[in-house]
Amino acid sequence: MLNTLLPILLFAALALAVIGAGKRFLMWRRGRPAQVDWIGGLLAMPRRYLVDLHHVVERDKYMSRTHVATAGGFVLAALLAIVVHGFGLHNRILGFALLAACVLMFGGALFVAKRRRNPPARLSKGPWNRLPKSLLMFAASFFIATLPVAGILPQGFGGWLLAAVLAVGVAWGVSELFLGMTWGGPMKHAFAGALHLAWHRRAERFGGGRSTGLKALDLDDPKAPLGVEKPSDFTWNQLLGFDACVQCGKCEAACPAFAAGQPLNPKKLIQDMVVGLAGGSDAKFAGSPYPGKPIGEHSGGPHLPIVDLNGKALVDAETLWSCTTCRACVEECPMMIEHVDAIVDMRRHLTLEKGATPNKGAEVLDNLIATDNPGGFAPGGRLNWAADLNLPLLSEKKSVDVLFWVGDGAFDMRNQRTLRAFVKVLKAANVDFAVLGLEERDSGDVARRLGDEATFQQLAKRNIATLAQYRFNKIVSCDPHSFHVLKNEYGELGGHYQVLHHSTYMDELIGSQKLHLGKHKGGSVTYHDPCYLGRYNGEYEAPRAVLKAIGIEVKEMERSGFRSRCCGGGGGAPITDIPGKQRIPDMRMLDIKQTGAELVAVGCPQCTAMLEGVVAPRPEIKDIAELVAEVLLEAPAPAKKPAPAKREMAEVQ
Amino acid sequence: MAFEAMFQPIQIGKLTIRNRVLSTAHAEVYATDGGMTTERYVKYYEEKAKGGIGLAICGGSSVVAIDSPQEWWSSVNLSTDRIIPHFQNLADAMHKHGAKIMIQITHMGRRSRWDGFNWPTLMSPSGIREPVHRATCKTIEPEEIWRVIGNYAQAARRAKEGGLDGVELSAVHQHMIDQFWSPRVNKRTDEWGGSFEGRMKFGLEVLKAVRKEVGDDFCVGMRICGDEFHPDGLSHEDMKQIAAYYDATGMLDFIGVVGSGCDTHNTLANVIPNMSYPPEPFLHLAAGIKEVVKVPVLHAQNIKDPNQATRILEGGYVDMVGMTRAHIADPHLIAKIKMGQVDQIKQCVGANYCIDRQYQGLDVLCIQNAATSREYMGVPHIIEKSTGPKRKVVVVGGGPAGMEAARVAAERGHDVTLFEKKDSLGGQITTASKAPQRDQIAGITRWFQLELARLNVDLRLGTGADVAAIQDLRPDIIVLANGGHPFLEQNEHWGAAEGLVVSSWDVLDGKVAPGKNVLVYDTICEFTGMSVADYLADKGAQVEIVTDDIKPGVAIGGTSFPTYYRSMYPKEVIMTGDLMLEKVYREGDKLVAVLENEYTGAKEERVVDQVVVENGVRPDETLYYALKEGSRNKGQVDVEALFAIKPQPCLTEPGDGYLLFRIGDCVAQRNTHAAIYDALRLCKDF
Repeated sequence: MLNTLLPILLFAALALAVIGAGKRFLMWRRGRPAQVDWIGGLLAMPRRYLVDLHHVVERDKYMSRTHVATAGGFVLAALLAIVVHGFGLHNRILGFALLAACVLMFGGALFVAKRRRNPPARLSKGPWNRLPKSLLMFAASFFIATLPVAGILPQGFGGWLLAAVLAVGVAWGVSELFLGMTWGGPMKHAFAGALHLAWHRRAERFGGGRSTGLKALDLDDPKAPLGVEKPSDFTWNQLLGFDACVQCGKCEAACPAFAAGQPLNPKKLIQDMVVGLAGGSDAKFAGSPYPGKPIGEHSGGPHLPIVDLNGKALVDAETLWSCTTCRACVEECPMMIEHVDAIVDMRRHLTLEKGATPNKGAEVLDNLIATDNPGGFAPGGRLNWAADLNLPLLSEKKSVDVLFWVGDGAFDMRNQRTLRAFVKVLKAANVDFAVLGLEERDSGDVARRLGDEATFQQLAKRNIATLAQYRFNKIVSCDPHSFHVLKNEYGELGGHYQVLHHSTYMDELIGSQKLHLGKHKGGSVTYHDPCYLGRYNGEYEAPRAVLKAIGIEVKEMERSGFRSRCCGGGGGAPITDIPGKQRIPDMRMLDIKQTGAELVAVGCPQCTAMLEGVVAPRPEIKDIAELVAEVLLEAPAPAKKPAPAKREMAEVQ
Repeated sequence: MAFEAMFQPIQIGKLTIRNRVLSTAHAEVYATDGGMTTERYVKYYEEKAKGGIGLAICGGSSVVAIDSPQEWWSSVNLSTDRIIPHFQNLADAMHKHGAKIMIQITHMGRRSRWDGFNWPTLMSPSGIREPVHRATCKTIEPEEIWRVIGNYAQAARRAKEGGLDGVELSAVHQHMIDQFWSPRVNKRTDEWGGSFEGRMKFGLEVLKAVRKEVGDDFCVGMRICGDEFHPDGLSHEDMKQIAAYYDATGMLDFIGVVGSGCDTHNTLANVIPNMSYPPEPFLHLAAGIKEVVKVPVLHAQNIKDPNQATRILEGGYVDMVGMTRAHIADPHLIAKIKMGQVDQIKQCVGANYCIDRQYQGLDVLCIQNAATSREYMGVPHIIEKSTGPKRKVVVVGGGPAGMEAARVAAERGHDVTLFEKKDSLGGQITTASKAPQRDQIAGITRWFQLELARLNVDLRLGTGADVAAIQDLRPDIIVLANGGHPFLEQNEHWGAAEGLVVSSWDVLDGKVAPGKNVLVYDTICEFTGMSVADYLADKGAQVEIVTDDIKPGVAIGGTSFPTYYRSMYPKEVIMTGDLMLEKVYREGDKLVAVLENEYTGAKEERVVDQVVVENGVRPDETLYYALKEGSRNKGQVDVEALFAIKPQPCLTEPGDGYLLFRIGDCVAQRNTHAAIYDALRLCKDF
């Protein structure tokens, strides 16, 4: 009886799955076109899955092993089941192989089940709690059904009763595992995930690459929407990417805005996009809501606006404006989903089409347009901070080794200390450098993250035109945001440069013995990785190497390196200022305090400002350039008098 | 950006100044070796440069010729090439930190003294005596005029060769140039006087000669007054005309404006406005000059805090603000603004201890910052944390000595407890601040309060300390700064014990209600006696202040006694000298004060209803002697180490128990600066 039932069940499930897949595919294709390498992507997919994705999953060893066993077992079992039970190839060896696959899968599923007994808050419940049972059912049913094939049990063992039970088990199993893949069950992640990997919008990320720059809007294309208003405004492979979500909540656990009680949960956001692409409400979402926003009140559809500024639609605007663009979610996501791209796409619509950038957003954008800096300071004051430093201007020198990109910190009294310290270092190392002075403009970072792509492109193009007049080997900046934009986002607009963060450059100077340094005096030090230096650009080592060179042994925070917690200052978040239960920088300061360090070294003007905004008592905050400048020694005199190295006078400004 | 207007660079001549704040020229009284800018001088200015100032114009009244004596006020001597290498040191020290440095140059004419050193004959356009210095002088002859013009040019050359960034010609304070300007002292009928052009001629020739000597690339400015405030002197309209006249020559790079002339005691007090003045009292005069000239206008006088400076600059009244005393009180003022530490700025309170010393020919010192001008000795503005053992330090007394001791010890990183028996900090500063027009002196306490809070000093206010309470804290060091009490018991016939006389503290602190008809007897002749007389008069009492010294208030400095007089004369306070208070007795409901003339022995009596005695402070020594025997160092301060700014040797000597020091008026009456200086130099090595 089973020999009749099983093929029917298997092929029916497969057929329905194929129909579902077609339907799902058409849903994705509601999105705008995107250029993908159809065949190449599919061919590259196994490697992307087995290497790149595994690399991310491998960070959680328990989950990695569980998944290898469960998924590996399942794939093997499913294929063998189709051969053995579907096509009736009752080969004994195949039977044993299928048994082994089922055991493997069952073992893995046991661990899945174990984790589901007291699941952490980040995991979705609902159908996801059913999944381990389905997995066990699938593995167990096929195991028993295969025992006769392997000759362990006689054919027809158990009679019709067992056959009926097994048929129910198999039906349950294949429904979840075959149908569920394409009809919206938890197993959808396998199907969509595989295709997402194949046709990923940032294929550069695979094979150890890094792709973090936002993609430009084609402002000259009258047909292209200005950002994303409705789900169908996403490119189709973005929609596909949303469908790949496994709801593991690693993003939720890493999101600083979520932890601060702001109305953002990256996992929920992706799931809302899934709701949007298929149509419906979020009522069935079985994970943590956006803080302060109950589930069941929002709904949408592929051609309905995602945000209703006067009421409720799929997502509230403040959810989108809570994001600091820190990329912690993207970094953590085992399915390599691009949350930040999606958020900025939706912000673009709100800013460019609706003019609805909240709080100080509109003012900042107006300032950028009128004064080339977000603070609205008189542009003529851009070099005031260096009035007494006699900085060489690129407009006079025309050609230099290093262009020191100052950034808008030029207008901020605190950051001026960092800038002055870095100038001191450059001078001490006799670097051939110059600044753009009044020719420099805001890099466009904030405008772009606030969704104002037009202002970004305008600023970028003007900067690129300015830079085109001069010759320089590299650009160095103390501002990771300028650094990132110049390095990764100007290229698409025609600006290709070698750009270094000042910590990287100081590390080079130290390595080539251009600096005579003493040792840091004072208390213990921890280091805060800026998002735009670390996660965006992978620079974790140079700042630490510089600190080490001046005798600092960094007391690392639990969340450091690629898991560093954002200071709250990125993505225009301090400007849009969405209220939460606590402030992100306060939480980061707690991380810092837990190390017991008396000083936190930073490498970003935003981080400095956010952390210094935390009320005392708290550790001191200093930029790496300040720490280096403090221990600069005068170069040994080249004359015959070999004067002992003397410590530079402390500069108090 | 907060205070943005202050940090706008400015172009003066060919010079770019990094911000809008300068230290205007003042006499420092630091030049040594015949008027050279030696180590103390350089370090004093370098500290301001380190602290972020844009420009310093040093050397108020630096002389260009040997018949304008430099010795009386140890001013800078530009009459010799010997100065050039010293200027190079000064310029290097300033430029290293990004600041610019100029010097004021002048011939003081009649505004000096002739009775010393080279015994010069002073010169002036018309030989008219100068009252402030009681200086007689001759009428200058044309040959001497041309010689002095040449002296100016040579002096400017020396400044330029020394690497300074410019010179400021002093045409203020009634120096030679403005002596020629003012019809009050220029009665000449030759080409150097008479008409407007005639009176302008000397200044013009000086400017021409200087400009010719230094060329166009060197800054040359002029400091002028905004109004002499004399009926027969130069009015504001006259000064506008003069400023426009020189501005039109195109040879000037800037003009500094000082409100008020200063060749009388009363006008002198305007020039460096003390705490009785409102903020920036003469800004309108500088703004009036700015209306008529093209070059940048610089102005000082009572500009003390960054909000005020920003308001003035944003208003466009002047182009740069002089924060001169503000920088004497805190040379790191700019740095603290930039560090977001505005609350940590030690703000000038206008006590004018600095300038009042200068007018006596003493080195300029700050009443509240004992490190100023002592940088060369190693007295620190920024107290570094100790690398030695953390100590328990107990300070007794919350007056200036105690507050400074607690601050410095806490900056060193020690665990500090301060006992003050009153409910608030301040000690005698609090008492002093009760008098009319003297309230701002409490700013000294305000700063300490903020600092002690920032440094987490354990303040036990309203708590008198006794031996047991101190010992309970197991101190490593005890600093006694518990002051003293009014010394009324010196003469038993005053009847303090019977309540016949009260002290000035009792009155100012409000413990005793003001009488209606009051005799104030003041043997000390400093601030307290004048303050209490002014306070009583202000409350409606008829007051006579009597002293056995020459005149009440005679020991108060030149910029402060005039403001007391201005307050007291209209209230008809009688000031009587040369009478000693012999005794006081009661007659009915009245008191009879018996006074004896110092020089004749003749007796007089006053019938009054209140007698207030100011006889200084008697130290309270009981606590000291109770602790002395138990201390490791027997309460002794090693004065050699103290004077040499070295650590007290006992700090590193092994032993159990506590070290004991006492400072301030609990040792002997001195003044606020002495108390703070002793506290700083003693505690900086704890």
